[in-house]
This record gives sequence, structure tokens and C-alpha cells, in this order.
Amino acid sequence: MVGVSYQRFPTVKIREMKDEYMKFELRDTDASIANALRRVMIAEVPTIAIDLVEIMSNSSVLNDEFISHRLGLIPLVSKKAMEMRFSRDCDACDGDGQCQYCSVEFCLNVRCEGDQTLDVTSGDLRSFDPMVMPVDANIGKDFDEDSVDPSIQKKSGIIIVKLRRGQELNLRAIARKGIGKDHAKWSPAATVTFMYQPEIHINEQLMETLTLDEKEDWVESSPTKVFDIDPKTHQVVVVDPEAYTYDDEVIKKSEAIGKPGLVEIYPLEDSFIFTVESTGVISAYQLVINALEILKQKLDAVRLSDDAQENDEQFGELRQHLGGVL
Amino acid sequence: MNAPDRYERFVVPEGTKKVSYERDTKIINAASFIIEREDHTIGNILRMQLHRDPNTLFAGYKLPHPLQYKIIVRIHTASQSSPMQAYNQAINDLDKELEHLKKVFQAEKIRIENISL
Repeated sequence: MVGVSYQRFPTVKIREMKDEYMKFELRDTDASIANALRRVMIAEVPTIAIDLVEIMSNSSVLNDEFISHRLGLIPLVSKKAMEMRFSRDCDACDGDGQCQYCSVEFCLNVRCEGDQTLDVTSGDLRSFDPMVMPVDANIGKDFDEDSVDPSIQKKSGIIIVKLRRGQELNLRAIARKGIGKDHAKWSPAATVTFMYQPEIHINEQLMETLTLDEKEDWVESSPTKVFDIDPKTHQVVVVDPEAYTYDDEVIKKSEAIGKPGLVEIYPLEDSFIFTVESTGVISAYQLVINALEILKQKLDAVRLSDDAQENDEQFGELRQHLGGVL
Repeated sequence: MNAPDRYERFVVPEGTKKVSYERDTKIINAASFIIEREDHTIGNILRMQLHRDPNTLFAGYKLPHPLQYKIIVRIHTASQSSPMQAYNQAINDLDKELEHLKKVFQAEKIRIENISL
């Protein structure tokens, strides 16, 4: 029995890759792996988010809790997250979660002095670690430095609160590593979806028994543009199989016009088309790689401990022994 | 007020084993594995991988209750294997599959970047 393996060798084809968006094909595996990958990307890939806020003064119109909640939802660049420690199992700070290995400190101190309403944005957050900052921080800086027009200033960034003359906000925030399962603010995924790749076969012979009007009517019955009619040959052709949403509308239509079996559509059960959109805290590609790594770690964690195996072997020997006597 | 802490969902309490093994008393080569703080993510891939093993006669998992953060994986094997052997084999195979997937992903990224250059 030793040396036997039922391992699969999946293949991947990336169709499109941008910083925050990726589309790829995953083949030669089953839905359980595809779904585990999706679930891990959404809920178990770690990121960094503000988790503790200490408010020194707040005379804004929003209460302290409201502002703390908003701060928590600000996406922070989380390239460091995989190497960071969770505060709860950090030995350097005995779990109070305020050391360099498991936390990043931020401060924000803004006071409105002018007559104009002042926007407090994520750009006002000062990080003690240049690796961890609000995701849009750089865009804001490019604007600010040279621009003379104050109305252009701070156009980017996420608005936290607006201040009028004399109001101020002064606070200290601790960002920590966490996962989406704990709170959605730690989820790095905006959307992760996968679908079975559809295979569409048109019964050409049967299709030719339809008039052009009937064909047009049939093509129109699909809510998404999957089929079209070739203007020259007047044949029905598949233009975009992946636009098919498994809605069965064309199949119902075929039956309604008394021509069942006009088209056969079935999902390829070992081929998946994934779309991954990240929130910007890590790249979409890194999100997938991290998800694979996390899933591997999870599997390693559910391996049987050695003592459990030994106990069982002893029991097995006993059973064999008894079997011999009987 | 009395809501359980959020971390209860994924932190194994002290003094509790991550995986415990319980042999079936009536059927030989049948056993249940109780895995603490795991859900469908692990349960389903394990089950499907076990189904690929011809020595596994039965493999299933359940999440007994949404507020009990554990899954139970039940395995019944043929006499030439054992539930423990099948379980270990499934984890090893899945581990290798994920390692392979990671490699092909990285290779594919390099391929894509070279095309766009």
C-alpha cells in the first residue's frame, strides 16, 4: 500500500491579470478544491486592519464608536500580513498586542481652523511603519505636493469625518493581523467567483429545420448573448459559451417550439473559470498564492498527532492477537 | 451581552486536541475523526479525496451544528487499509496537489508576464 498515490495534477491558465483583478482557468481537479480555494480567499487569508482605537479628543459630530468602526474598515496595505504574528499567539508582548511583531501603530491629529468644512480622510492617518498604510495613500501624496489649488488637495482618500471650525479629532490606533472569519474588515477579497466551463453542442441538422425567423426568436430567448446568427450562412453559432448562466431558457424554448434537443449544454465538471477581485490590500495574484499556502497550513494542522497513531497501532496489535487466538 | 467571542470559531481551546480519533466499536475498519475548529473548507476536500481511494468504502463528513465549531469525518475502509491510513493518505495527496497547484500558478504568472513584455 505504501507509495500508492491518488494525487491529481491540476493545470492553470491565467487569462487576465491586473493588480486587483484576475481571471483564470483551473482544470483537472474537482469542485471541492475550487470551493475550498474560494472560501479560503474570502475568509482565511490574513490582512491588517485597525482593531483598537484610543481617542484622545473628539469634538466632531460623530461619536467615538462610530469613528472607530469607520477606521476599522479602512483597507491597509497588507503585504506584511503573512509574516506577521496574530496578537493572540505573540510571545513578545504576552498577547496585549502592542509590539512590532503583531501590530502597527497609527495616529491621527486634525483640527479645523478655517471657515471651510475640513474633510478628515484616510490620508491623515500617520503610520509608524512605512510598509503598512492606507491603500490609496500614495495617490493622495502625488496630488498634494505640487498642487496649488487647495480644492484638489486631499481629493483622494477615504473620508472618515468632516469637521467645522474649532472641531478636532486626535486619536491613536493599533492595526492588527486578522482573518475575514473573525470580522469582514479583514477580508482581502472583494469578490471571488467560479463557474463550471460550459460545453455547448448545437444539433445542426435539427437547427436547419427552423426558419430564419424561428432561429432569431430562439437566439433571442437566451437572456445573455450566448448565440448569434451568421449573417451570411444564416446558421446559428455559439459566440460566447461562458456568457451562459445555466438558466435553461434556450432549452425551454426548444421544447416550446416543439424541437427538443436543439442544443445540448453541460458543465465540464473538472474545469472552472475563476474571477478574483481583491480590495487592494494585496494583489489578486498574491491573494491566490496566499490562499493556497493557508489551505496547505490548514491541512498540516489536521494531521493526526503521533500519540493518537501509536494508541491505534497498539490496539490493532491486540486485535490481531485476539484474532489469532480465536 | 452573552455572545460568544468571535475567535471561538477558529482558535482551538487550551487542553483540547485539534484532531481526535474514535474507532467504531461494532464495525472493523470504521472510525470517526473529530476535527476541532474546522468547517466545510477542510471537510469537503478531505471527503472528496477519500472518495478517490478505492480502499475507502465510505467517507463522509458533517458539521453537527453551526455553533459547534467542529466537523466529524467518518471513514470506513476495506480490510487491506485502515481509516487512519486512508486519512493520512488523503491529507498527503491533497498537500501534494496544493503544492503542485502553487508551482503551476507561479510558472503561469511568469509565462503571462513574458508574453505581455
